[in-house]
Amino acid sequence: MTTLQEVTSTAATLIVAAGVVSGLVVVVVIRRPPLALGVLLDMLVAAGLLRLVGTPGWPVLATTAVILLLRRVVSAGFRAARHSWSDDGDGADGGAPAQGWPLSMARLVHPAWRR
Amino acid sequence: MEELLADVVGVLVVIVEACGAAVIIVGAVRAFLRFIWAGLRERSSSAFVPVRLTLGRFLALGLEFQLASDVLRTAVAPSFRDLAQLAAVAAIRTALNYFLGREIEEERRQVAAERDVRAQGVPATDPADRVRGRMV
Repeated sequence: MTTLQEVTSTAATLIVAAGVVSGLVVVVVIRRPPLALGVLLDMLVAAGLLRLVGTPGWPVLATTAVILLLRRVVSAGFRAARHSWSDDGDGADGGAPAQGWPLSMARLVHPAWRR
Repeated sequence: MEELLADVVGVLVVIVEACGAAVIIVGAVRAFLRFIWAGLRERSSSAFVPVRLTLGRFLALGLEFQLASDVLRTAVAPSFRDLAQLAAVAAIRTALNYFLGREIEEERRQVAAERDVRAQGVPATDPADRVRGRMV
């Protein structure tokens, strides 16, 4: 392993730790797990890119590809969830209900795409 | 002559990859500090969008450097196995670059829309906060 790979490997580990801390901060302070997951995945992508430095083996390549795929799937899932929460189905956050808990729960059980 | 070329390309590959890695590390550290700052100070999910946008830009820039090093490495890849691995790495980086570009564009539109709303005098509220009936 070259010096550059050692440095990037250490940095990747630190960035994963930073991603976990950032995600926890978002969950604790903002209380939005989807946003926290997005933040964590962003940092994991940065770490994965650092692990690709040099001539990585197939396991590292596979891990990075899986992270990227997971990121796409999670992003698509969040977009679909936003669509189901909005009134007009345009996916804008502005369509989120302004009312309180009962209507929110009703929309959770009967999202827009089922109406 | 070939050996000299391989040596020169090898050095160039290391330099370009180091530049890409440095860009990614700086972007990640900057994003981490700003995530913590936004979480502890601003306490609004809309504050995280610009941070993610900036991190995406750093990652895209770092990827450009790494793709450049891949292109350089093709000049001296000796075996078919090396070439296959190189192709896999380049494919992953190209795919990520493409998706990052799309996400950056999407988030940039979101930031511009929020700026327009603020410019029209409507108080900026976070969607999650609106659901909870709370103003930022």
